[in-house]
Amino acid sequence: MVASVLTCLLRGLEGVLVEVQVDVAPGHVAFNLVGLGDASVKEARERVRSALRNSGLGFPLRRLTVNLAPAELRKEGSGFDLPVAVAIALAVAEKRPPPRTAFIGELALDGAVRHADGVLVAARALRAQGVEALFVSPADAAEAALVKGLRVHAPADLAGVMAHLAGTAEAPAVAGLLPSAPLEPPLEDDLAEVHGQEAARRALELSAAGGHHLLLSGPPGAGKTMLARCLPGILPPLTLEEALEVAQVRSILGELGASPLSWERPFRAPHHSVSTAGLVGGGNGLGRPGEISRAHHGVLFLDELAEFQGPALQALRQPLESGRVVITRSRGTVSYPARFTLVAATNPCPCGWLGDDRRACRCPPGAVDRYQRSLSGPLLDRLDLRVAVSRPPLEALSTGSGAESSAAVRARVMTARHRQLHRQECLNAHLKPAGLRRHAPLGAGRRLLERWAEERGLTARGFHRAWRVARTAADLDGAETIQEAHLLEALGYRLAVHERAA
Amino acid sequence: MAVVGSRRPTPYGEAVAERLGADLAAAGVVVVSGLARGIDAAAHRGALDAGGVTVAVLGTGVDVVYPAENAGLAAEIVGRGGALVSEFADGTPPRRGHFPKRNWTMAAISELVVVVEAAEGSGALITAEAALALGREVMAVPGSVFSPQSVGAHQLLRDGAGLVQNARDVLAVLGRGQEVLDDPLLPPSRLGLAAPVRRDGLLGHLSETLPVTAAELARKLGLGFAEALARLTALELEGSVLRRGEGYVRKLRRE
Ligand SMILES: [Zn+2]
Repeated sequence: MVASVLTCLLRGLEGVLVEVQVDVAPGHVAFNLVGLGDASVKEARERVRSALRNSGLGFPLRRLTVNLAPAELRKEGSGFDLPVAVAIALAVAEKRPPPRTAFIGELALDGAVRHADGVLVAARALRAQGVEALFVSPADAAEAALVKGLRVHAPADLAGVMAHLAGTAEAPAVAGLLPSAPLEPPLEDDLAEVHGQEAARRALELSAAGGHHLLLSGPPGAGKTMLARCLPGILPPLTLEEALEVAQVRSILGELGASPLSWERPFRAPHHSVSTAGLVGGGNGLGRPGEISRAHHGVLFLDELAEFQGPALQALRQPLESGRVVITRSRGTVSYPARFTLVAATNPCPCGWLGDDRRACRCPPGAVDRYQRSLSGPLLDRLDLRVAVSRPPLEALSTGSGAESSAAVRARVMTARHRQLHRQECLNAHLKPAGLRRHAPLGAGRRLLERWAEERGLTARGFHRAWRVARTAADLDGAETIQEAHLLEALGYRLAVHERAA
Repeated sequence: MAVVGSRRPTPYGEAVAERLGADLAAAGVVVVSGLARGIDAAAHRGALDAGGVTVAVLGTGVDVVYPAENAGLAAEIVGRGGALVSEFADGTPPRRGHFPKRNWTMAAISELVVVVEAAEGSGALITAEAALALGREVMAVPGSVFSPQSVGAHQLLRDGAGLVQNARDVLAVLGRGQEVLDDPLLPPSRLGLAAPVRRDGLLGHLSETLPVTAAELARKLGLGFAEALARLTALELEGSVLRRGEGYVRKLRRE
């Protein structure tokens, strides 16, 4: 007797359709798993055996061979328990498997169906490959039900699954629940609370409008963290597709709960002691998503940039360019999305007070230069907007700021983003040089930019970055073409202290 | 006591006048000045910001505010318990000959006169002379040796005027030295609280020594931040301003 059912294998955010084939044959009593199962798949044997027995389905005392195909892919995870158990039960009962139906879930010894990581990712991949029904644990039902066109069943245990398949007791399909996007999300951090800081406010607006990375430099207590926290609130809410991508990363990490979809832009602020794997991804097995993937479509805030480990910062460079991170391990390569806006913050010097008008810097000579050199180089070159943040005057703190609210800024940001997407189908920060030439002609301004590059020293990357920022300034102005003033402003977002070394 | 100086000050001079006005007013001193552009307006403004009382001595009738741009400042001076003082009849328009007389009045009603930035032959020096003639103390704030606006104050220092580095120096001479104030003088966090000064271009608002940030300049001139930054960058490209830390300074010129 042979039976086979479908399940899904995850590689990063890709799902591969896997067929679980079971052959029950006369002979010595045996339970063989073939097809490159790793240790956790082998443990599945014991759970499957117990779950079948304790569900009243019995375990065949015959020669049992389970093959996971395609055989060349390394299988990981505990989500194979349910499909293996279902395939065995169908083979024993000599029943045909239901068409276009897949199973994902871990089994407890008593037969209860339990959570598996990455169900949303698997569900989307299965649906894309023609699967129409999916059985998961009750804990994972909400995230699987986000996928359009997929019928999701979530019986509490293996017996319930088999009863539904036999037609004796129906497990009703779980209704998908899409939360509606809030029109005006309440903001914890609103620009209306920011006093002064014209430079940082403008830089945040440009960053939100064009997707540019940002460096805030200033003394302790200047409000760098508060400014960074304001960025998600001036970005438009996530689109459905973006929200699903964000949820997929959290699904892989097993962090999605009963309300899996959020319209809020992620904001991640890892501590400077974070490891390279923690920051960009890696760790066990094929590698799990890191902070940069959790910040996908949102904001990654690195406070005290100079304190982060060199290798971790080095590893940021490739994702900053491509919007994806590729993790290569001996057993294969996975990639995760990492299209985030980087907001880095730094003190102007080790003690923090260089340039402050109320306290003097106490750093020994040479220390300031060393510190600023440690910040410079290829990473800094990728931060398009660099602004100084100063402590607000004390008198400004006691009076109302009368400053513009995040909602007002967001309205301009959304208009500017709309112009970009309409023109070139991506944000300005993501335009390649060829796209820049096509969609952001410089005209007479080219001479100005070239002159700056010659006289002040600008890398080719810096040249293109200033060009992109200028395009965003023009979009915020509603200007069809880049004016000289837009280029000049873009060139102004380069702090002198960093320029020498960068 | 009076704070007097140039009608065309550098940002440094304006910053000093504003800070002195504020610190002295906070110590309970009534700050006297002439409601003119520049140093005068900055000193009044500083005193008002510190919640103090300030008196403006006019060269016109008290019902004629000159320059007109300081009308708001004049109203605030009166509203906050200060006074507009004039020896001229109501309705007297500004006349060249009246201002030296006004300077004498200022010296007469003050115990001490501090000169902040005065070019050679300026009205502030007339006030200083009057103060000496009336037996009042005269003190002066040093400035940049590159700046023509410092020549008058430096001449006074050479002639024996007391040197002012901070409000404590002034209070000590007034016999009120017990207040402890910061040392050295802290520049005001917001330049340009004084009424807007109309000068051509941005260069006139930049100092050769004290860096001014794009945000400060934008606030002072009532420009958007983006425009101020773009114009400063243009000057930087042209070679007439330099970055200094977070701010900009005017490049030194040989005259
Ligand atoms: Zn320091």
